[in-house]
Amino acid sequence: MIAVSDITKSYGNGDGKTQVLKGITMQINDGDFVVVLGASGSGKSTFLNVISGLERPDSGSVTYGSREITKLSDSELTQFRKDNIGFIFQQYYLLPNMTVENNVRMGADLAGNREYREIITAVGLEDKSRKYPSELSGGEQQRVSVARALAKKPKVLFLDEPTGALDEQTGRQVLDYICKLHKRLGFTIVMVTHNQNIAEMATTVVKMNSGKISEVSTNGRQKTAYEIGW
Amino acid sequence: MVVGMKDALKLIGISVIACCAVFVCTLFLNYNIDITAMKNEITMAGGIVMYNAIVSTGKVVSAVSGGCLAVTSVIMLLFYVKNYIDTHGKELGILKALGYSNFKISKHFWIFGLSVFIGCALGYAAAFLYLPSFYELQNAEHLFPEIKVQFHLYLAFLLVVVPTVSFAVLAVIYACFRLKKPVLDLLKEKHNYKATSSKKETKDMPFLKELTRSTVRGRKSLVFFIAFSAFCFSAMVQMSMSMNELASETMAVMVMTIGLILAFMTLFLSLSSVVKTNAKTIAMMKIFGYSERECNGAVLGGYRPVSYIGFAVGTAYQYFLLRIMVDIVFADVENIPEFKFDFTAFAVSLVLFIIIYELFMYIYSQRIKKLSIKSVMLE
Repeated sequence: MIAVSDITKSYGNGDGKTQVLKGITMQINDGDFVVVLGASGSGKSTFLNVISGLERPDSGSVTYGSREITKLSDSELTQFRKDNIGFIFQQYYLLPNMTVENNVRMGADLAGNREYREIITAVGLEDKSRKYPSELSGGEQQRVSVARALAKKPKVLFLDEPTGALDEQTGRQVLDYICKLHKRLGFTIVMVTHNQNIAEMATTVVKMNSGKISEVSTNGRQKTAYEIGW
Repeated sequence: MVVGMKDALKLIGISVIACCAVFVCTLFLNYNIDITAMKNEITMAGGIVMYNAIVSTGKVVSAVSGGCLAVTSVIMLLFYVKNYIDTHGKELGILKALGYSNFKISKHFWIFGLSVFIGCALGYAAAFLYLPSFYELQNAEHLFPEIKVQFHLYLAFLLVVVPTVSFAVLAVIYACFRLKKPVLDLLKEKHNYKATSSKKETKDMPFLKELTRSTVRGRKSLVFFIAFSAFCFSAMVQMSMSMNELASETMAVMVMTIGLILAFMTLFLSLSSVVKTNAKTIAMMKIFGYSERECNGAVLGGYRPVSYIGFAVGTAYQYFLLRIMVDIVFADVENIPEFKFDFTAFAVSLVLFIIIYELFMYIYSQRIKKLSIKSVMLE
């Protein structure tokens, strides 16, 4: 379980100081599919960065099970991310000088995962494993990014607007891959998006507004990527 | 404006190299011109032999150091222009998309010639101030009549104006050539990586090893610079230590200084570029949980063998160059000892090189450590 307790985060200093997170407290259960919704500037990406250990909060704590990651040193935090966390970003951030296979190996080698080719096949890219990112479409690149994140067998997968740069059909495809793998492998998902329809796929929906949680709701029945509107 | 003064000032490496090249060339060429004018006044037998040796040395030193430094500057300039276009693809792509021609954009790159002008002007001025002392040193044994320092306008033109104009023109032409890319490739800052046809090439190679290999292969210009910096260090330091019986102490210090400046500038430029161009890769590796040690090893480690190859080539180069100088230039000069490979100079320079190279690597590994994940991602 991830327990977030009263976290605050500001950027800038003096008159230019902006408080982005204003005391957020919440819990995420193991295996949950949490969608964080909010308008641009609501603090949802910062929230994701803080709970995933990419950034440190100004105050408050983030605890995974019994381990408070906000107290870890940089090297301990790196080790923690290595053992537990996977990331998928809107801009993919693939390594341009590495093939699809090697991009996926970036995640797989960390977990000693020798079956990474199965994941490449699972995301439908087995025939493109020797291509470079620049030779792929946006949707294919995002699927590589999904495969890379899943190849390291994360316990928690963080997604920051994973369909933000994709068209509807490709976006649905990518979400479908993620959901199927989520059901099969049972990891926890925390996804940030501004697309309200995607929230219908989640077990828990967290709405953020001006650095605070304005609403938390749970879905009785989760829809698939092909059932939601876009 | 596409390229500004600020960008030109980043080419300080070229300024430093141009300064060194013009400094050395001005000293020897100005001296050669002045001493040649007095050739008829040199009557002593020893003086004539020394005159011939000095004129030949001047020509060799100017040609070797000036030529070598000029080639380095040209490569550096091309590297800067290419790097600028690669890293500013979006801005340049927008201009092209709006209808600006390649030449209209590239003509602004003339400003890169400014860095050459600054270096050449400083080098020329510094050499001119030092010329009286240099003339005294060259004539320490008073074999020639007193030579006064003369100002030669055409030499100033040749060493300051010509390089400046040539580099400015070269920058414009090369930029124009590099801009001949489709607009979309520039906008997407698209890299020219292509799918590999060989299946065994990457088979089962661990990610970190593959990253090291691809980092080194992907930037061949950086490989050249790193090898070149080791080459300069090795050649110039060993040469200055080995030539104490062939030339004056001042000459040895000058050679060593130029070697060190070249080595440091090229190493600094290369490693800065390695870290900059791999910033996103390093950030992603950190996000995924790769340790600092793994990031440093994968990104910087691949250049270590390259630098030692450069050092070995530099050792061979300086040995054969000095041999040729002894055999040809000093052929008529008496009491020139037989030239042998200086193992002490080799050992000392190798130890110094290892210490300095590893120190540089440490400094850059600290820069990698300080790379903020968020700032890289927000770029």
